Amino acid sequence: MCGAHATVRGLLGELVARSALDDRDLIVDMEAGLEHLSRGTGRHVSRFIAVLEPYYRSMETVRRIVDLARDLGVGDVRVVTNKIRNDADRDVIRTYCDTHQLAVIGEIPWDPSLVDAERAGRPPVDAAPDSMAVRAIRALAIGLS
Amino acid sequence: MVEPKAPDTTVATCPWVDGVTTSRFPHGSIRVAIAGKGGSGKTTIAGTLARVLAQQGRRVLAVDADTNPNLSTTLGVPADRAIRIASLPRSLMEKQTQPDGSVKQVFTADPMAVVDQYGVDAPDGVRLLVMGAVGHGGAG
Repeated sequence: MCGAHATVRGLLGELVARSALDDRDLIVDMEAGLEHLSRGTGRHVSRFIAVLEPYYRSMETVRRIVDLARDLGVGDVRVVTNKIRNDADRDVIRTYCDTHQLAVIGEIPWDPSLVDAERAGRPPVDAAPDSMAVRAIRALAIGLS
Repeated sequence: MVEPKAPDTTVATCPWVDGVTTSRFPHGSIRVAIAGKGGSGKTTIAGTLARVLAQQGRRVLAVDADTNPNLSTTLGVPADRAIRIASLPRSLMEKQTQPDGSVKQVFTADPMAVVDQYGVDAPDGVRLLVMGAVGHGGAG
C-alpha cells in the first residue's frame, strides 16, 4: 500500500527536482486521509489547498491537515471553502479560520448544478460551465496564478 | 521561463467574477496539492481547476493521488477509457542502500517518460496520471 504512495511521491519529487514540468501546472488530488501528508507527498508542491466545508468536523479535519502541512514545511497552506450556502456558513468559517490563523483564498458556493453534474457523471466544467461554482473555481485559478 | 514569485501573503476571499482574462496568467506555473475530507469536493475542485487552467491555454498535469481514484470523471475522461487507465507500477521504485546503511526506495525512471507512458489525455489537453487504487486484490 505504501508502495503506491511512495511511487507517486517519487515521481513528483523527480519531476520537480529535474524541472521536468517546464511551465506545466501541476494539480494533485490528494488522498482523503492524512496518509499522504504524513509521508510528505505535499512537499513537492509550492501550494497546498485544504478544502473546508462549513461544519465542525470538516473544519477540525482541515485544521489537522494544515497543522501537518506546516510541520512538514509546505510553505504556502491555504483554505478553499466549499458548499457555502449563506452568511451563517461564511460566519462560522470566518470565525474558525481567524481563530486558527487559516488563510482563505477561495469560496465555492453550494451549487445544485454541480450536484446534477456529479449525479450524471459529467464534468462540471462541461455540464455547468457558467454555474456559480465553476465561476468560483475560475476565480480561484486566477488567485493561484 | 518560470520566474520565482515572492510569497503571496494576501488573505482574501474570492470575489465572483465574470470571465477570466488570460493576462492574469503571464509566467510561473501553479503547483498545487488539494486535500480535504472525503466528500468535501476536493476532487471536483481539483478536476475543474485543471480544466479551467487548460482552457486558459496552460499546460496542465493532473495527478490523482487518491487511493479511491475518480479524478478522471471530473476531468471528463470517457468512462470506457477511464477503466483502462494504468496505475503507476511500484516497480518504478528501486531499493537503494544509502551510505549510512539504511535502505531507501528511490524513483529511478525518467519522470517525463513515465508521464508519457502512463498518462492519459483528458479534454482541453489536460494530462492525467493515476496513482492507483489500493486495498483491492494486491493493487497498489
